[in-house]
Parts: sequence; C-alpha cells; structure tokens
Amino acid sequence: MNDPLPTPPLQTATELEPLPPAPAPPEETPAPDASNSLEALIAQITSHNDPQALNHMLRTFAPKEVKETILGSLLPGGADPLQALDVEVNTLGILYLLSARLHVAAAAAPPPEFIEAFCQGFDPEQARLAPERVTLLAKGIVQLGQEANQPTFTAKALADLLVRFPPSLHYLTPLHPLFMTTCVANRLFAAATPILSEAITEIDTTLFPDLHYTDNLVYHYTGGIAYAALQQWEQAEEFFEIVVGAPAQVPSAVQLEAGKKLILVQLIKDGKAAPLPRYTNAALQRLLKGTPYYSLIRFYPLQQAQLQVAVEKEKETFEKDQNMGLVKLMLEHAPRWAINKLTRTYLTLSIPEIGKAVSMEGQDEAVQRIILSMIEKGEIDASLSMDGIVTFNDTPSSAPTRMLTRTEVDSALKEAQHQASILRALEREIGKSREFLVKAVRVKDNDWAAPGAPDEDLMFGVTPTGTWADDA
Amino acid sequence: MDVEMADATEQIVAQSRISKAPTPTVVVDENHPFELETYMSSYTGRVAVDRLVHIISLAPSIAPQALQLALRHIQSLRDPALYQVVLAAYEQAASHGSVQLPAADDVATINQRWVDETNTKNQSERMKLEVELKTYTNNMIKESIRMAHRDLGEFYRSVGDYSTSLKHFTKSREFCTTNQHIIEMCLSVLEILIEQRNYSHIPTYIFKADAALDQSTSASDSKAVGGGKGKASAERERYQTKLDFAMGLSQLGQGQYDKAAYSFLKLGAPAKLDDWVGKLVAPGDVAIFGTLCALASMSRSAIKSNVLENETFGIYIEHEPYVRDIVEAYMSNKFKVVLELLEKFSTRHYLDIYLSSHVHDLVNLIRNRSIVLYFQPFSSIKLDRMSTVFGWSVEEVERQVVALIQSGEIQGRVDSQNKILKARQEDPRAQLFAKALKAGSEMQSANRKLLLRMRLQQADLVVKMPKNQKPEQPEFVMGAGSQMLQMSEFVQLGP
Repeated sequence: MNDPLPTPPLQTATELEPLPPAPAPPEETPAPDASNSLEALIAQITSHNDPQALNHMLRTFAPKEVKETILGSLLPGGADPLQALDVEVNTLGILYLLSARLHVAAAAAPPPEFIEAFCQGFDPEQARLAPERVTLLAKGIVQLGQEANQPTFTAKALADLLVRFPPSLHYLTPLHPLFMTTCVANRLFAAATPILSEAITEIDTTLFPDLHYTDNLVYHYTGGIAYAALQQWEQAEEFFEIVVGAPAQVPSAVQLEAGKKLILVQLIKDGKAAPLPRYTNAALQRLLKGTPYYSLIRFYPLQQAQLQVAVEKEKETFEKDQNMGLVKLMLEHAPRWAINKLTRTYLTLSIPEIGKAVSMEGQDEAVQRIILSMIEKGEIDASLSMDGIVTFNDTPSSAPTRMLTRTEVDSALKEAQHQASILRALEREIGKSREFLVKAVRVKDNDWAAPGAPDEDLMFGVTPTGTWADDA
Repeated sequence: MDVEMADATEQIVAQSRISKAPTPTVVVDENHPFELETYMSSYTGRVAVDRLVHIISLAPSIAPQALQLALRHIQSLRDPALYQVVLAAYEQAASHGSVQLPAADDVATINQRWVDETNTKNQSERMKLEVELKTYTNNMIKESIRMAHRDLGEFYRSVGDYSTSLKHFTKSREFCTTNQHIIEMCLSVLEILIEQRNYSHIPTYIFKADAALDQSTSASDSKAVGGGKGKASAERERYQTKLDFAMGLSQLGQGQYDKAAYSFLKLGAPAKLDDWVGKLVAPGDVAIFGTLCALASMSRSAIKSNVLENETFGIYIEHEPYVRDIVEAYMSNKFKVVLELLEKFSTRHYLDIYLSSHVHDLVNLIRNRSIVLYFQPFSSIKLDRMSTVFGWSVEEVERQVVALIQSGEIQGRVDSQNKILKARQEDPRAQLFAKALKAGSEMQSANRKLLLRMRLQQADLVVKMPKNQKPEQPEFVMGAGSQMLQMSEFVQLGP
C-alpha cells in the first residue's frame, strides 16, 4: 500500500450529500501526495459552509491510517496548517487536525498556546458534530501535559473544553473522567471544584456516542477523592455513593474501592456508617463486608483501643489501598464523635472525666484542644470554664437553636417545588415514551384476553402472569 | 466404682448439666435466708434430685446438706446413675468453691446393695417391656403397641435415659387412635422437655396438644349438642393450665419475659396443674416466675390488673408471701424496698433451676424500670436524692442513669459537676422544622442519585462482564480497576 489512496476531487466533495456513508468512488486522477492533499483539505475547510458535509468529508476522505497521517502532517515548506485557520469559524477542521497532530507519533506537536486558544474559543456547535474527535483531542492534551510535565496546562485546557463542549455541565461526557483524573493525580483539587459542583444529571448517548460505563464510575470516584482531599465530606460521600450504587451486573473494582472510601468518609462525617443504597449490587455488598474496613465500623468511635488494634493489624491492607491517610483522619475524628455522644448524656463534665470517657486518659491538654476546636467549628454547643468544666448547652448542635426565618422556609419550599416539577416532567416524558406505551398496550391486551385464556394461573383472578414474563 | 456402675446399668449419662459454665456461687446467710428442707419439701421424684444437684453446684455452704438429701431422694427412685451426677457435682463444687467442703464419703455413704438390686430390677423390667412390645408388634394390636411404647417411654425416663424415652413416646404417636392419647403423649413429652430444659422444642408439642384438644372439642360437638360441649370444654380446661405453664416456661427460658409474664399470669388454679405440682414445679415457683417477669416487662397498670387483682394468681402468691411485698412496694414507689427484697431472696431465685440463668437479667430490667418510673414526674432531680431512694452510692446512681440515657430509656442529661439529672427540654416546633428540612434535602439528594442512575440505565451504561474475561471469575470487573489502583497511588489523602 505504497500508493496513497485516491481522494475525491474537490468539486465532488462539496456536492457530496452527507446521507450515504458510501465509500469514496474510485477516481482516475493520479493520487496527490499527502502534503498536497493536506493543502487541498485546508482549502476545503476554509471554503466550506456546511459543517455537516465537511464533517462527513473529513471522516471519509481516506482510510483510517492514511487519513491520520495526512491530518497530522505539516504544509509543504514546514508551515503549520493550524495557523492558516480561524479557531471559531473552522472549529471542525482544526479539531480534526489538532487531534491527529497530538496522536500521530511522527507529527510535530502543536504549540500549547494554540491549544489553549482553541479550547477557549472553539464553536461548540461544530465540535459536537465530531464528539469522538473531541475525546481524542482531550486524550492528546492529557498525554502532552504528562510529557511536558505541565499538569496545570492540561487541567486548564480540559476545563475550558469541558465548559464549552456539552450543552450544559449537567451532561456527562467522556472528557469528565480525563479531566478529573488529571486533577486528582496532580492534586489540583481546587481547580476541579467548579466542574464538580455541577451535579451530573443527564446522560445522552446520541450526543456522546463513545460514552462508557467506566466514564461515570471513574469521574465520580475521582470526584469523591477530590472532595475528600478538600475535606468536604458531604459531597465526597455523595460521589462515592453514586459509584457504589451505579447499576451493575457484576461489581467493578472501582466500585469496591469507592465502597471502602465511602465507609471511611461516613465514619469521619457522621461517626457511623450508613447502610449502602438498596439498589447496590448484592455481590458488591458481600465483597465489601469482607474487607477490614467493615470491621472498623463496629468499634467506631467509642472503643478506641480496639480500633487502634484493628488499624494496626490491617495496616498493610490500608496502605496497599492507599487509604492510610483517610484511616488516620478517621482515627483523629474518633474522639470528636465520642465527645459528641457525651453531649446527649451529660450537662456538665470536667475535662479529665471527658478524657476518661473517650479513652484519652491523662491527655487533658489534647482533650481540651479537641473540645475547643469542636466548639469553634460548631460541632458541639458548649462552653469551657476556667477550672476545666465543660458545660454542654441544652439542645444538641444538630438541631437549630433558633426559629427559622421566613425566607429560609420560603427557599426550602421553592426547592421542593422545583424538585416536584422535575419529577412531574420526567413522569410525562416516560408516559409518552415509546417503550412505556408499547408495554402498557401489551399489558392491556393481555388483560383483555385473560378471561378466554386457558392458562391455569389466570383462573384465580390474580395478575396475569403472562404479561410479567413478557416484560422480563 | 463409678465405672463399674455405668457398665452395669449399660446406660449413658445423657446429661452433663454440671459441666455448664461456672455460675457465681450463691451465699446463704442471715441476709439471704434459704431453708433447704422447707424448699425441698415441695418437690418429689427426679426433679428434686435435679434441683439438689443445681443447689450443690451453686451454693457450696449448703452443699453437704443438699448432698445428704439428694442421696436420700435417689433411693426412692430407680436410677443409680444419679449417684454419679450428684457426686460429680459435689466434687466439682468442692474443688472450685472457696469454702472447704468435707469429703463426700464423710457426708453420706452410697448404698451399694441398693444400687445392685435396682440395676438388676431395671434390667429385668426392661427385658420384660421389650418383649411385650415385640409381641404386640407381631400381633399388630395397635392399642397395645401404643401402651407398650408408652410404658417403655416411662421406664426409660425413670432410669434417666431421656433420648430413648423421647424416641418411644414419639413412636407411640403413630399408634394413637384417639385425641386423648395424643394429648397424653404430648404431655409426657412436655414433661421430659421441661425436665431437660429444652425450651425451644416445648412450643411444638404445645401446638400439637392444642390441635388435638380442638379436634376433640369439635368431635364431641358434632356427637352430642347438649352435654358433649360441657365435657369438651372441661377437658380443655383440664389441660389448658398445664399447656400454659409449659408455654410460659419455654418463653422464660428463651428470655421472652413479656410473653412469659402473660402466660404465667393467665394460669388456672394450682390444682389444675395436677401431678405437675411437685413433680415439675411448686406453686410458689409459678408465683415468683410470673411476678418477676411482670415487674420486668409490664406497665404499672397492667401489673395492677394482672397481678394484684388476679385472684387465681393470688393463690400462687400465697405460697411465697414475700412476692406480694415486692409487688406492693413496687406499686407504691418504694424502690429501695423492692431492690432489697430482690437481693434478700436472690438466693432463692438463683437456686431455682428454671430461673437461675435469668435472675441477673430480670433484676436488671426491674431496676431499670424502677429508675425510669421514679424519674418520670421530675424535670430535674439531685442524684443524691435518688441514691437515698434506691439505696446506692451517688456514683452507682450516676452509672445506672448514664447507661439508661445512652440506651434511650431516659430522656434527660446528667450534670456531672453538680450531680443533677435533668429532663431534656424539647422544642417540638424547632425539631419539626429541622426534621422537615433534613428530610427535604435528603429526598433531593436521593432524587438526584436515582435520576442519574435511571439515566445510566437508559443509556445502558451498566457495569458488565468484559467479553474477554473468563466466566469463572464473575466477581470482579478489573477493566478499569487496575488503572484505578494505579491512580490512587497519587491520592494519598490527609496528612
């Protein structure tokens, strides 16, 4: 295959309808060489008005391997073809060229400034025509950043790409996990928060056909790690829970890891572990119960001696799982939860007594420090007198000590109404969806046919079993 | 000698009831009065020996006396193997107990002649009964076969071979022709189960007996509309008390004190227990079981109507008058008296074979309920006042109260500095608001998660088995896993 394959002449390509993805018709004209073809491509890209047709052309103008080489090459004379194009107008063309340049081994790397400019200024409408090229580009950017050891560059470029590319940040894209993995691997947690704070609620495989289930798992897992690193436990818990509760026929390793971290985060956040979501895969629950993490729950937070022993015993496992940091944090939080429990039982206690109750006997100063920091953070509602007596106020800190204001009530109501409207819209959507209607009609038909049916089960007037079998 | 004896009787000592976990020794002194002679006078037969064995292993101070009594009782029975059981219990008590006990031989001697005689007698009787059974089986006379099985059951029971005995009794069921027979069989089995303290099996036979009673009632109903009914209900009445007692005992044995209380309190008059009085239980025991269970589980008004105003149960209580004192002290809030009485008669309670393992729990429950009841009307109270009422030290009171708060039985908090217990003041309105807000936000986040999950499922982004993985390891999808594990190397969180 020395001969480069024929490319359709320019004229034909412009008139080519996007409908049939038919192979390019064989041409008599002698094949132009790669750089020539690139020149021609550039000309086409600049002259094209219909992005859809252009996309089709770019996708099909040559067989795969050759195409990438062509796209990744430079103009004759070494000029960079990218400079000839306008970022906003020729988004699609640049997307193809750029992604190829980043992936073809022999191609010259594009200047980082250009990538940055592109990520900030591209036209999302055009880019959405070729989502798989965007993914390719993102992977290329990750690679580039790794080679140049410039994670901030990668994170910045991907974030720009991520903000503009999907219709809104509520959509999950294949870029999400790439971005989060970069952020977490390079401890750029703060950079991740603007993206993380927009919860994923939409999955659209027509917009992003190359979405894979691992994208969801990895994004939320890494997101959870980022939040845990920022000590925003509540969000971290939610992210890990999403991973653990993700639909699964068989549990994935990511889910198991997330489950372990979920337990630790819950212990830190609430002082106890909450049951896993009911829809969690049963095998996953079993696996998780077998881990040493599960045994920590039993001792937390009061039996600190046993806790220490358990941690010591399983230290290797924790270190292997890279969870030692969280485990240590969890141990540090144990006295706090123990003290918190005391507030429900006692009105006043002296510091040595508290130390005894939370098994930190003789470390009065440490106990006092913990109590002071707990008061500061509002975890307990208490005051410390000069002679070392702690007075817990009557209402536990979890309940509001004051009446709610009108505006707070209003905003809560508004939130609830908003939720209700989302659910209502969803119900309508399902109600008119094809699958639902087909099923509904079938159930109805069977009901109708039931009296005449000779089926034994139907004679008892229970739900016709036949319909259920069909549904399954 | 022991070994010879075992060989001679060819019997296995089925029970190893002395090899249980060592229970705390029970003291008998002026503060904890216990009259062995009077106590034992209400029991006869095998159960008396069982009880004495229990006493020997629990109360070393009266063990010699109990041993003598036990040996005397054994001679009226026909199971020489009991000698071993009693002596073993005594020796164990002697080796464990802090009190120096005289050697068993000094206390009492074993009537070897009686042992030999009884063994030969047992042997011949067994042969006789087995031959009988064989003949009847060959002749296929149903009623006789049943009686032969029953007799063998009785025989094995009397010589202490419970498992064989049970086997014969249950076998006899196949040959029962009337409901009367079934009931008789059930009662015999129940007796054995109670003696063995096999509480979990008791209900099965109660239900069987119940069903048989029901059947006989309906059968006689259809036979004669007039007089039959009275007869049938009389029959039911005759056995109901026994069945109720067995049920109560089984519930007590399984720690269901609330149910046990109701079972004991609805028993008929002691006469209805018929031959079970003495053979299995004394009316005084019933009074104690019922009352303690009631105090531990019932509300004050329920105790009033079910214990104090229950005339039938009153008859039981008359056998142990101190029980009434406990209930009355409890009802009039004299908790100190209640606890003192419970302590005073703890010996009596611990030495009862059925109650022994539950005394601790029951007393705890009663004490907790007393504290809760006492604190109810107060909004705050000094701990030292409580300590005088309950007769404990302030530290003890604090410990108890804190335990109760932590288990959620008292809604209050302790001021450990000034030693005051304060009821928690709640603001229901604020609580309601807080609860509503919390529920709202929880629901929202649940919605969000569920919607995402739904969308994932719609898009079929479900974790699946990778096609290249062998089906032998369905537990794990490692695809992204290994990558993630590598990645978490970067993610050493925390300090």
